[in-house]
Amino acid sequence: MKILVPVKRVIDYNVKVRVKADNTGVELANVKMSMNPFDEIAVEEALRIKEAGNAEEIIVVSIGPAQAQETLRTALAMGADRAILVKTDDLVEPLAVAKILKAIVAEETPELVILGKQAIDDDCNQTGQMLAALLEWPQGTFASEVKLGEGTVNVTREVDGGLETVKLTLPAVVTADLRLNEPRYASLPNIMKAKRKPLDTKEPSDYGVDTARRLTTLKVEEPAKRASGIIVENIAELVTKLRDEAGVI
Amino acid sequence: MTINPIHLEKLKKILGSEGWIDDQTDMPSFLREPRDKYQGNTPLILMPDSTEKTAEIVRYCAQNKIPLVPQGGNSGLVGGAIPTGEILLSLKRLKAIRQQDARNLTITVEAGCILSHIQELAQEMNCLFPLSLAAEGSCMIGGNISTNAGGVNVLHYGNMRNLVLGLEVVLPNGETWHGLGGLRKDNTGYDLKQLFIGAEGSLGIITAATLKLSPHPHEKQTAFVAVPDPDAAVNLLSIARNISGDCLTAFEIIPRLGIDMVTDNIPGSRDPMTQTYDWYILLEGTSSLSRDLLDLEAVMERILSTGLDDGLILDGVIAKNITESNNLWQLRENLSEAQKFEGGSIKHDISVPISAIPAFLIEAGMAVETSIPGARPVPFGHLGDGNLHYNISQPKHMARQAFLDQWESLNQSVHDVVDKFNGSFSAEHGIGRMKTDDMLRYKSKVEMAMMTKIKHTLDPHNIMNPGVIVRK
Repeated sequence: MKILVPVKRVIDYNVKVRVKADNTGVELANVKMSMNPFDEIAVEEALRIKEAGNAEEIIVVSIGPAQAQETLRTALAMGADRAILVKTDDLVEPLAVAKILKAIVAEETPELVILGKQAIDDDCNQTGQMLAALLEWPQGTFASEVKLGEGTVNVTREVDGGLETVKLTLPAVVTADLRLNEPRYASLPNIMKAKRKPLDTKEPSDYGVDTARRLTTLKVEEPAKRASGIIVENIAELVTKLRDEAGVI
Repeated sequence: MTINPIHLEKLKKILGSEGWIDDQTDMPSFLREPRDKYQGNTPLILMPDSTEKTAEIVRYCAQNKIPLVPQGGNSGLVGGAIPTGEILLSLKRLKAIRQQDARNLTITVEAGCILSHIQELAQEMNCLFPLSLAAEGSCMIGGNISTNAGGVNVLHYGNMRNLVLGLEVVLPNGETWHGLGGLRKDNTGYDLKQLFIGAEGSLGIITAATLKLSPHPHEKQTAFVAVPDPDAAVNLLSIARNISGDCLTAFEIIPRLGIDMVTDNIPGSRDPMTQTYDWYILLEGTSSLSRDLLDLEAVMERILSTGLDDGLILDGVIAKNITESNNLWQLRENLSEAQKFEGGSIKHDISVPISAIPAFLIEAGMAVETSIPGARPVPFGHLGDGNLHYNISQPKHMARQAFLDQWESLNQSVHDVVDKFNGSFSAEHGIGRMKTDDMLRYKSKVEMAMMTKIKHTLDPHNIMNPGVIVRK
């Protein structure tokens, strides 16, 4: 079987994000970009399924600007077999992403699509669910464990009350949570090999999808700064502050 | 040594109630050295909050010949900031930021500023203060300057000496030299600031400094590779320098035993490779050019593929995001900590010419095995600077103390080999109280005479950190 893994290029998790001076978005110039961490987990899970002998091919796809190629090369260096870049400079909303992915699924006929549960830039957490709905496939979201069976997949989900295990009939959509696995490093020989792996470039129009935005961003602002703490001299002062200023006692 | 209590009371009065500690129960963190090799004692800790107050204290001490030991963050490793009965002068309350000048690429700070805080301020100025070392969260800039600190970025940016443009120093007679300023060119006589950099507080007390900043790096690439042996590592360094121009900012060597110790003892650490190898190099490239002007990833890949083709690299990984880069650095940063779990460890901070490192490692290894059979050398560190932390963990079944009792004699065995290769027995940690014997053994008479004369000229009563660097 084939596994399709969509990956997104986002600001690196460790970068301190700065809001643009005109409040139209966040500063992207000269900022380190990396693969969305949840997508990296999705790639790793696909690799493990393949290494266990349960899949033959892993296709990674990214929808974004030309530089998203680097993100795809990273996935190829981890061990994915080939890549598709759907090139667009637009900010593509989850519904449009899901529609493009649906079209790719129709072409590639994977039996499993593994996505990160959400991207850390917009935190939407929608694409996997929308894709499952459009495909009319079962979905197992927030996976912390994925076990393949005969024509089925068991997905352990991290829910509020604990863990819930669902059994899905393939083909299915799975979204990866943080504790699913720890992604591997890209080894030097594999980084070299990745350069020769196939990478197709397409455009949203090739799939008949209109990526025009349906949402308008009014304003992007930094969260309010937290006032720094103070050190009180003695217990009496602490009690006074808790009572008179904080009003908690 | 006892100091007349009348003096202690007068000194307290200069600073007021906030500025001193005389209760022994509040003193341990000032008197214990991080490796527990020194336990100091003092009747009084003084903590002035201005240069003027510092000068007033020193003036009083000079008049009354009272010895002082200056101290910053107390992360030194050679006992240079640990008093043996002298008054301890802590610079921790001198922490004002005097000036930030992004257009001059300088920042002027007081001695008690924590290194990581200065790094953060530089970053806010869209600049870089490149000094970086394991203790950066607690060490203070005054101590960094007084010990001419090195760290992981020396390869590209130089050590502390290269990062100081001006100093403010309280001299041993209580006078203040106002030598701050942001000049990159100033040939007006002797470069006096260099005298105080690395002097370990023996010639005066640094109260403030103007530091040189660099443009902030935009791109960083971290790789961790396995090499067959140190000789291949040195050849890889040459290749990396040829290919990268001046982008190479770190080149650290780690032996397999070090990786084992970290992965066995530090939770959350893992070997990035699936197979094990004898030696590893952590290398990092940094560029202030933006990505559209320089593809640093391609530079790193060129270095590594060349190394792979030439048989200098057996395997390796490149960090694909900052988290992985941090994790690779953790393997390096945790080496000293991990050794603590493996019993006693005898340390050396040596440098030899880079080209001599492979031969040095072989000879030093033999010297150690002869001295203490079964002792386990874990030589790691700044290969790119020719500086190794030649740490030796005890043999597996030896008593800890029996091993540590050999500290001096093992030091001498190793330092004799260092000397043979025209190396240094203290590359970046300094002399302190620990290595004054080595000074006499390995430094020439001419050198020692010059140092002693300088000390006597500036500090005739020997009140400034007496006993460090030169004995009297």
